[in-house]
Amino acid sequence: MSSLDPTGPDVPIARLRARPERRLWRSLEELARGTAPAGPEFPPGASAPPEPSRRDFLQLLGASAALAGLAGCVREPPEKILPYTRRPEDVAPGNPLHYATAYALDGIATGLLVTSYEGRPTKIEGNPDHPSSRGAAGVFEQALLLSLYDPARARAIRYRGAGRSWRAFLEYAAEAVDLHRKDGGAGLCFLGEPDASPLMADLHERVLRALPAARFFSYAPLAEDAAYEGARLAFGRPLQTRVDFSRARVVVSLDADFLGGGPDRLRAAREFASRRVPESELSRLYVVESALSLTGAMADHRVRMRSSEVVQFALGLALELSPQLQGGPHTQLTATRPLHVMARDLLANQGRSVVVAGARQPPLVHALAHAINAALGNADRTVAYAAPTLPDMAAGPAALAPLVADMRSGRVETLVITAPNPAYTAPADLDFGSALGKVPHAIYHGLYEDETAAQCAWFVPATHSLESWGDARAWDGTVSIVQPLIAPLFAGVTHAELWAAFVGEGDRGAHALVQDYWRRQPGRPDFDAFWEEALHDGVVRGSATRTESVTPRWADIAAAAAAAAAKPTSGGGIELNFLPDSKVYDGRFANNAWLQELPDPITKITWDNALLLSPTTAGRLGVESADLVEVTLRGRSLAAPVFVLPGHADDVASIALGYGRTGLNEELAQGVGANAYLVRPSDAPWFAPGASVRKIGRRARFAITQDHFTMEGRPLALVATPRELRQHPERIEEQRAALPTLYDPVPYPSYRWAMSIDLSRCIGCSACVVACQAENNIPVVGKERVARGREMHWLRIDRYFSGPSALDPEVVFQPVACQHCENAPCEYVCPVNATAHSDEGLNEMVYNRCVGTRYCSNNCPYKVRRFNFFDYVGQRTQPERMLQNPEVSIRSRGVMEKCTYCVQRIERARIDARVAGRTIREGEIQTACQQTCPTRAIVFGSLHDERAEVARLHADERRYDLLHELGTRPRTAYLVRLRNPNPELS
Amino acid sequence: MSALFPPWTNTVSRFSLVCLALGGVVGAVLLVLWVESPYFTGQHGPIEQPVQFDHRHHVADDGIDCRYCHSTVETAASAGFPALSVCMNCHGQIWNKSPMLEQVRAAYFSDRAIPWNRVHRLPDFVYFNHSIHVAKGVGCVSCHGRVDQMAQVTQVAPLTMGWCLGCHRAPEPNLRPREEITHLGWRPPTDSGALGHALVAQYDVHTRVSCSTCHR
Repeated sequence: MSSLDPTGPDVPIARLRARPERRLWRSLEELARGTAPAGPEFPPGASAPPEPSRRDFLQLLGASAALAGLAGCVREPPEKILPYTRRPEDVAPGNPLHYATAYALDGIATGLLVTSYEGRPTKIEGNPDHPSSRGAAGVFEQALLLSLYDPARARAIRYRGAGRSWRAFLEYAAEAVDLHRKDGGAGLCFLGEPDASPLMADLHERVLRALPAARFFSYAPLAEDAAYEGARLAFGRPLQTRVDFSRARVVVSLDADFLGGGPDRLRAAREFASRRVPESELSRLYVVESALSLTGAMADHRVRMRSSEVVQFALGLALELSPQLQGGPHTQLTATRPLHVMARDLLANQGRSVVVAGARQPPLVHALAHAINAALGNADRTVAYAAPTLPDMAAGPAALAPLVADMRSGRVETLVITAPNPAYTAPADLDFGSALGKVPHAIYHGLYEDETAAQCAWFVPATHSLESWGDARAWDGTVSIVQPLIAPLFAGVTHAELWAAFVGEGDRGAHALVQDYWRRQPGRPDFDAFWEEALHDGVVRGSATRTESVTPRWADIAAAAAAAAAKPTSGGGIELNFLPDSKVYDGRFANNAWLQELPDPITKITWDNALLLSPTTAGRLGVESADLVEVTLRGRSLAAPVFVLPGHADDVASIALGYGRTGLNEELAQGVGANAYLVRPSDAPWFAPGASVRKIGRRARFAITQDHFTMEGRPLALVATPRELRQHPERIEEQRAALPTLYDPVPYPSYRWAMSIDLSRCIGCSACVVACQAENNIPVVGKERVARGREMHWLRIDRYFSGPSALDPEVVFQPVACQHCENAPCEYVCPVNATAHSDEGLNEMVYNRCVGTRYCSNNCPYKVRRFNFFDYVGQRTQPERMLQNPEVSIRSRGVMEKCTYCVQRIERARIDARVAGRTIREGEIQTACQQTCPTRAIVFGSLHDERAEVARLHADERRYDLLHELGTRPRTAYLVRLRNPNPELS
Repeated sequence: MSALFPPWTNTVSRFSLVCLALGGVVGAVLLVLWVESPYFTGQHGPIEQPVQFDHRHHVADDGIDCRYCHSTVETAASAGFPALSVCMNCHGQIWNKSPMLEQVRAAYFSDRAIPWNRVHRLPDFVYFNHSIHVAKGVGCVSCHGRVDQMAQVTQVAPLTMGWCLGCHRAPEPNLRPREEITHLGWRPPTDSGALGHALVAQYDVHTRVSCSTCHR
């Protein structure tokens, strides 16, 4: 990509002077424009050698051989030991400690348990005592760890580019408060993200007590405003919907991706998965949606339609199911067969079904879902209502508009921004950036000096969640105290401290602020005991909010339904869909390499987003995957590459938010993907009709980890209905029966480690992949090398499309890591015995023996071995080095690696057990992937232990071996994915 | 024109070929010898330390148990290097004016660590755990030698993989009752073989030689 610079060399001198706060610049053009030149900072090949010719290659080979020889002669310098001055209580160097804390995403917390070695957090897991987590953690929560050590994080408080102290800021804030006191704070505005923290609510009140006219706004680009509005429509007040999927036999999702997104997704996934196995009564999932989501991928029946048509579908369903609404006007879209079948199935399961509406859908769809649930008697059984945990019910793009209008008219003098990067995430039609320029005193508090920081006079670096004291609430209202794992690495202050600066308490420290708040709360006679327990457990017991019984206002819903039915389905052209991203969320995780390199669960694209089109629509538009197109919506356009996705709705284009970042400091995020906020309208933030798609003629290059969709006829990820399983047990038996072998049986005297992966439970969320990456010090390699197939993930999730039609495929996910074959093909071919079998059946990889022939990888039928083509970890700088798990060797260049079944956890458990003079107990060892799995799809243990769950699952009727016919006798068993289609529809 | 290579050059060339072949063999032998030599394994002598700490005095004269300072040896992988506060437990009271301890006091009061030089160093890909060895009756002296007789600590064992495996294949000679773990001068009763076998049974010793026992 060459940099085409619109500004010539003759820049007016006035423009040069206009931006005195910029510190560094490389050219006059950059100084004048205030951004880096488009395109890469360094010319191609600057950081990596260009493709060598054969001659260059031989020269390099000779030189490196000679240098390697020389390097081998160097005696390593003596190692130093730096003991503590006073050893902290409980710290034994090398023994990890675990602390409970919580992380709030868009204001709703997930409880975490963080592993720390000598004060250095190295792994994030879910807190088993937390109601949302139950031990699981999603990709965002786990990847927080990498963000903590991100060297691109902001390091100093700045005023117009110059470094300032926190004290200077406090003086400034005190002056500002004095100034604003004259008019009660009318010119003072706060823009935060939705936050359920009791401490922040208290500070909010205290600011208002001092400055009653000050105003607080909340903004989150993915806020679920419509859900609260829907409840207001249905019940007369905003309520939170809590669904218990473990009690639902029939689930209908109206564009609700409850498995892939949403504030309570981990709990939803666990409950949902508990009904997908034959041990329970199998549930049936119907999904109505446009773009293929994780929930859609789990569906037994999926109806694809434009997002704007979902309301008509909901209307049709409601008219069939709720007698209270009948007699009203009929919709245009009623008489479809799936709708009738769905309605019948729901009727047959009254009180045991649930209809959920997606956050992307308008309030009416939510109201209709509430109406249907009430009519079916599901309320208080599978679905319950409670007062919202979040105090800010309106936080979406529409809620931002009044603030922007005030900013533009000059009524906002001081604006304190704590919402993450609104200059980037605000819809383009609001033009938040230019409005921000009109605010004389803008203060931005963020992890990075990003797009918003560039527009604000003051910048205050935020502490990372793992460096902060605070409190937070889970979706069900349960309070967690957020405790830091490490002192702030950079000069950060917490959100609470920043707000406290406006009530004169900014210098007290977050610990004092949060402790004082909880000390003031009544009903805790022994505060210290309460505090210790809350910190230890990670939850405040009994703090969940109660659910309440409510009755729908039928007349209001009927009126709204009538109005909607009368309205024609909107607009022609292509409907443009905006989706939350599965990896970077709303863009806040864009500088996180673990997440960028994580393949999207559905498309398997890394380091990119794409405009998703159905095969039909792509054919009509004459485009194919990787074609660059220009999407235009209401006069704004955006260039993005196309990805043709089976199962996508026709005449709809979908694009994930959060890419195309231009922040100066977040180097990883720059230039990755296309920024969909540029075309997102504030009045239709989720989908808008009337878009056009035009082929540009150039092509992009995706880095995709799985670029084919089919199993090519091989029995890889097996799917069956319960009936098929009963009728043809021999088809599964074929895939697991013992094969003849020439080798003598090997005795495994002590333990026989094994794993089982239940495809019925796996929802493809990829939490296990990130867990494995964090646990095993797995490097990231970048887009270029992923495109060459050199990604390093030890665990991958294969995604297969199947079924008769490419337009409506069935989807199945299959996590694949080393299978730990008893007859392992890799072991026979290693010339240096670097991969060997242990006496417990582990297929071991000995890095220090490996010479890098890669024979093992070639001979592995599962393709799970990963080769270090470069020294990825050695390039890491401080503070990134602090990330490493000290229990796992760092692999250097030229070494093969692969899944070890988390052997470091086995060995630790073994040593602990042997020192205590006992054997390892069932459940004592959890592999990293198993530990974090929200649906408990992965089970690990010893087959010798008859009570072990893994032994039971290895004997299950659904168990089969991957590539069984090769006779490798893998120790990882798979369990057939069960589908529960409605006989009326199949 | 005389021949470019007179006949004697044949002898020279044959001789050089033999030398070359021999040189390779000798080189390989030397390399193996060198790798096993104390110079390579680190057994060549004491390592200078920033503070002259004398184990002879503390262990032999004062009779301080190893675990007083190396306090995590029974619970962690690392035996534990004493924090400065451990030094000051005694030296706050005795020898608290000694110039030899000036550096220790300065470090303690300024909260700066003294950079000691590591003596027993294993490669980073080796995960050795003290607690399990102590629990199974391997005495300190088996690997660290008579530290109570060392003015400066010297590495006495080669710490090579072959040396580790020697004990892992036949641990009996290196086992002792748990009460005698830190007793550096302990000698087994005459019939040492029988005691070793008895302890293997009593402590349920199962030495392992699978790679992942030490390499992860």
